[in-house]
Amino acid sequence: MRLPLNFNEGNLGFQIAPMIDVVFVIMLFFMVMAGAVKVENELNTRLPGTAETSSPADFVDEQIITISDSGEISLNDEPFDSARSKDLPQLKGTLMRLKQNADAAKTPAVVTIISDSQTKYGRTIDVLDALAVAKIDNVTFTVAEEE
Amino acid sequence: MIDVLLTILVFFMTITSAQVLKVDKTVQLPIAKDAQKKDNTRAEAILNVRWLLPAKKALFVFNDHPYQSAAEMVGALRIARVTGEKKITAGKNPTFRAVIRGDREVPAIYVSQAMNACAEAGITDISFSTVNKE
Repeated sequence: MRLPLNFNEGNLGFQIAPMIDVVFVIMLFFMVMAGAVKVENELNTRLPGTAETSSPADFVDEQIITISDSGEISLNDEPFDSARSKDLPQLKGTLMRLKQNADAAKTPAVVTIISDSQTKYGRTIDVLDALAVAKIDNVTFTVAEEE
Repeated sequence: MIDVLLTILVFFMTITSAQVLKVDKTVQLPIAKDAQKKDNTRAEAILNVRWLLPAKKALFVFNDHPYQSAAEMVGALRIARVTGEKKITAGKNPTFRAVIRGDREVPAIYVSQAMNACAEAGITDISFSTVNKE
């Protein structure tokens, strides 16, 4: 025998269990998305300019990092790491020692990056990242003049 | 329990959407694991340096306006600096800055040209945008 359907009698009100299920699924989605999210960071530099001083300025030792078009990195003409290395462990170690020495001597650590004009910008960022690890913030970036 | 769940949900929704909106898909930013977190409170001009691979040419974009060369941006950057400096109050970082969002494949010469444009516009404080992972 077929029973008559009465929707009004079957209304159980607001159901919390399916809502929790849905909230769980949405939360899972956003949790996974939050893990994959790319965070935009920054590496800072300041362009050289003129400064008015009333007292004589001390000249500091300037370290020069050159980047070739193939990505090879040299610090004061001495090559460091391979052209494929992104982490640059040797350069990082040397820069950290330089920073320690500069701090001990109470002089600022000044670094100039001279990049080949055709070097990929990503490689320059690798070097800037190594400088950020060594906490060297007096950094100037320039591109070598094409001959 | 549902209150706690909803709170966690709102938290994850906020951090996910807030970060995704800031990433411009046309520029593949270089990776720097040790870069500091971007300070979004500062007055800044954001310059995008796109790399057009088929033409092997860079395209400079400032305020959604494309420029074929960096020198063409100087006027717009100067206006942005003057406008931005008026808004700055004596805060932690009272200088106006330029943020260069360069594609990782772009040759360094184009980033240097963008820096030169900033210098000509009177902006000396420059930041390079990076991402924390691939």
